Amino acid sequence: MTAQEERPAAIEASRIEKSFGGVRALAGASFSAVAGEVHALVGENGAGKSTLIRVIGGRLRPDGGAVRLKGQALDFGRPDAANALGAWTVFQELTLFPWMTVAENLLLGREPRGRLGLIETRRMEERAEEVLAGLGITHIDPRALVEDIALAERQIVEIVRVITRDPSILLLDEPTSSLVEREVEWLFERIGELRARGAAIIFTSHRWNEVKSIADRITVFRNGAEVGTYAELPEDEAVRLMTGQRMETLFPKPPPLPATEKVLELNGLSGPGVDKVSLSLHKGEVLGVGGLAGHGHRQLFFMLFGAEKPGGGTIAVENKIVRIRSPREAVRCGVGLALVPEDRKTEGLLLEMSVRENLTLSVLRRVSRAGIIRPAAESDAARRMIERLQIRAQGPGSRVGTLSGGNQQKVLLGRWLLADCHIMLLYDVTRGVDVATKHELYELIMRLAREGRSILFYSSDAEELARLSHRVLVMREGRIAAELSGDELSAETIVAAALRDSVAA
Amino acid sequence: MPRDAARRLRRSRSSHRLGQNAGLILVCLLLAACILGYCAIFHVSQQRFPGSFELTSTVNNTMPLAMAALGQTIVVVTRGLDLSVGGIIDLTNAIAAVAMGESAASMVGWTVAVLAIGAGLGLINGLLVGVGRLQPILVTLATLSIFQGLAIWVLPQPGGAIPPAYSDVLANGDYPVSLFYVVLAALLWHAFRRSALGVAIFAIGNDEQAAAANGIRLVRTKILAYVLGGMFAAAGGLFLAATATAGDATTGNGYTLTSIVAVVLGGVSLFGGRGSATGSLLGAFVITMIVNLLFFAHIDPLYQAFYEGLFLIIAVIASTGVGSYFRRRG
Amino acid sequence: MKKSMGRFFTQERRRILYAYAAAVLLFLGGEAVRPGFASVASIEAVLVVATFVGIVAAGQTFVILIGGIDLSVPWVLNGAAILLVTASLGQDARAPYALALTLGMGAAVGLLNGVGVALLGIPAVVMTLAMNGIMEGLTLGLSGGLTCTACASYAPPLVQAAIHGNLLGVPHALYLWLAVILLVSFVLSFTAFGRSAYAIGNNLRASYLAGVSVTATTIALYTLSGLFSALSGIMLVGFGGQASLGMGDPYLFQSIAAVVIGGVYILGGRGHYLGSVAGAISLVALVSVLLAMNMPDYGRSIIYGVIILVLLLLYGREESRY
Repeated sequence: MTAQEERPAAIEASRIEKSFGGVRALAGASFSAVAGEVHALVGENGAGKSTLIRVIGGRLRPDGGAVRLKGQALDFGRPDAANALGAWTVFQELTLFPWMTVAENLLLGREPRGRLGLIETRRMEERAEEVLAGLGITHIDPRALVEDIALAERQIVEIVRVITRDPSILLLDEPTSSLVEREVEWLFERIGELRARGAAIIFTSHRWNEVKSIADRITVFRNGAEVGTYAELPEDEAVRLMTGQRMETLFPKPPPLPATEKVLELNGLSGPGVDKVSLSLHKGEVLGVGGLAGHGHRQLFFMLFGAEKPGGGTIAVENKIVRIRSPREAVRCGVGLALVPEDRKTEGLLLEMSVRENLTLSVLRRVSRAGIIRPAAESDAARRMIERLQIRAQGPGSRVGTLSGGNQQKVLLGRWLLADCHIMLLYDVTRGVDVATKHELYELIMRLAREGRSILFYSSDAEELARLSHRVLVMREGRIAAELSGDELSAETIVAAALRDSVAA
Repeated sequence: MPRDAARRLRRSRSSHRLGQNAGLILVCLLLAACILGYCAIFHVSQQRFPGSFELTSTVNNTMPLAMAALGQTIVVVTRGLDLSVGGIIDLTNAIAAVAMGESAASMVGWTVAVLAIGAGLGLINGLLVGVGRLQPILVTLATLSIFQGLAIWVLPQPGGAIPPAYSDVLANGDYPVSLFYVVLAALLWHAFRRSALGVAIFAIGNDEQAAAANGIRLVRTKILAYVLGGMFAAAGGLFLAATATAGDATTGNGYTLTSIVAVVLGGVSLFGGRGSATGSLLGAFVITMIVNLLFFAHIDPLYQAFYEGLFLIIAVIASTGVGSYFRRRG
Repeated sequence: MKKSMGRFFTQERRRILYAYAAAVLLFLGGEAVRPGFASVASIEAVLVVATFVGIVAAGQTFVILIGGIDLSVPWVLNGAAILLVTASLGQDARAPYALALTLGMGAAVGLLNGVGVALLGIPAVVMTLAMNGIMEGLTLGLSGGLTCTACASYAPPLVQAAIHGNLLGVPHALYLWLAVILLVSFVLSFTAFGRSAYAIGNNLRASYLAGVSVTATTIALYTLSGLFSALSGIMLVGFGGQASLGMGDPYLFQSIAAVVIGGVYILGGRGHYLGSVAGAISLVALVSVLLAMNMPDYGRSIIYGVIILVLLLLYGREESRY
């Protein structure tokens, strides 16, 4: 293999600046990659990796700085400028058309045409079949609507679509987030093939084992800029570079042991994606839920919150069996749900409305009399919560959309705290949140547990789960695969329990 | 898994087609049911089965709506709505009645001109929606008013004349020639769906953001969608003129809402991205058949709108319900 | 007081002011074209006509705020007018019964609309359009095309007086509208119900997950819309004396236009009824100016549409995200 310095530069990004509202996503970041390498971008959520990918891919115009692809300057005026230079991106948010078939999606713009220049459907489907088979995919039916196939399959289709463009630069943003082990292997084989053909592959990932196994070089990002690029990087060194702190100081003191009083009990709860889950949550306990994405956590949480209908099994709150048929009823039972960042924007907050209005949304009845909102009571409640959670905003009346990710998350938590929810379902609340706020959130969670609230806590970060929870239940394919506590509880055991069995194909 | 084994486990092609086109199949069944019902009631009422005359007049009367529905489909697929359809039909109907002369050159020339005018009216809508970034429902509500006004200006009183030869070609009284136009329209749609523009229009209706990310030119495609919508509405106006043999600047008004009904009955989603204009064409016929059915069943014509409304609700519920059922099976 | 008027924030407040400014400009313009147009009597006349649009617009505002629309206005209004005269037969004694029945009818239709949209998942455009047809059929059928014996009745004198009379020099109709304005504005700005409506219009899913009763609120809003359409029908027939066919048709477009001109966002979540009020006044003022200019019917139609488009271009645009 030729030394890196001798290979032609594929990407040269220098001093990229990009801000969204008041948030500086990229602060003079520079990045370079050469042909024939696999280059990983690592960093915490909010460090700027995704933003950088979008800029390099020509999808986002930076406020400052320049990008050169294969020696040529990238023109941000044209949406497909990067494509023209051979650079293709697979985004986290899929860009597939749900009501069109896999074949139509794969071959968009390159459909086989007959006389009169019209698309020949049958030939298109056959070609799609060939394309998929040529890349080792046989389980996806090209005639199916994208709407009807699983999330992992959609991600594969998205990846295949880009690979068939024969890219000389391939940008992948969290490509493995929905894939299982076997599919990840498949992806890495394809990446290997592309590298052998001289392409430059850039990808972001949170999974250190993946980064280790395939990346030739690793660039660490923190706070919107690169920290350094390394050919070899041990994990704890990487964490230190990513967070700027030693690992031990990042997590607050573990909470005191919980009471034995059971606050929530599930018995054989089943439904779409959830397979006979039984668990108990005690007063003051932080019960972690781990596992790979797509294995039923979301459905479980939403079922507990009344947003999805269970098919069988029971839920008991404080030893009384309840039927939670809507979020409204869930709140009445004392259950609150704080959601993961991307969903926070679409499913959690009303971005155009004020901090105050978002905070009091679930407790309108409490701040009203005879249906009329009492302004004093409302601003009082809002102000109290803003102070308590240290929500940084221009004022209680400012639009929630202008707040940073971390502060938005605090508003969401504040809503449930105002609603006096004593069982909190925290679903990936630290995703997309900057380090400082993450620390505050950890402290807050511990404080809530100390106050006697009970917390069911899902996180895609195994380390977080291990450090903050009393116990961790690992879910796999909709059921509880393992329960870890005490000495056996660590990030490695969580990940191991999550992966076991999916290796066998 | 070996490729052949995987293939055998898959649903057959026809199973896919069934699930994905449930709306279309439903409207076919609906139409079949209506035709059967109609034949039965007709027989009871007239002691014979409907014949060539009934077929001819039914098809002729449906053509304006069928054309309007076709144009509306194209707009609805982009997740838009064209409320100005009625106004375009009014205006083009009026122009045809006033301008068309007896000579073949005049008829052909004015047909082309009217279609061009329709396209131009659609262009106005398209520019306002695509470039102006205004909401389709509001834009077309306003242009409806403008086009209706223009129509009355062109033809203040019902009048004008359509050459009988024209009527013979478009809305022949003796033979169901119009069926040929229906088939032609369906073929045109089949081709359109497989063209680059057709794919682009469906893509936009599915997900504008994804379409933009895939290099589809949003503005241009939207403009073209409304241009085509206007052109087909104008075709509807010509058919209306041919059937009525004279002009009237207000008879087009009802077509706005009935074109939307036809589209919905045809299984096209108002949220865009899916559906077939063939369904809308059939939906137009369903509407006409319902009217005929009600007429021969001696239902008080005053109650007609009641049944149409009720029918629409039932059809929408059935369509969405059946569609998801079929797609989930298998 | 200022803090609790959270809805009137800079951009929205500005739009409402623009709408009122437009109304003032139209009156001034009318005065220029036909002196006497901006006289007290003339302004009063315009306002009275605007009342009918404004009341329908109240209902329309409610449903547009949650991202819906009510296309059943024409025949709920028309049906209400006919129901009032046929149920009351022009007698004051029967007036309370007739009024209750008519308003009940409006609410019932609205309720059905709400159920269809919220529970059955039928798009608002389709559901309300279908209900409009149903009401048209029922109204025409049951009244025999307005040829039934009771159909030629007049509205009860009480109702007519309620619209025509004057109190302190101001027509009764305006007091009625003022009452509606106060009520609707209050509900939107100061009640939990109003807050829920804005939340739903902003983000339905998030509101649902926050425990807002989306279904109940949606149904209630459509019910109110039907109620207001019926109320406007009652007032119209009180104004005109007798019912006619097609009297509800113009009010669909006008109610939607008034709401849009008033700065209410067509996709929901932003705007206020006070804006729709200004929109209704502007609209009617515009029509009156055109009438004063002896503009023929078709000219009015055209200018109407053009002005709406101009207003939309001025502040109806979506942001380009791509």
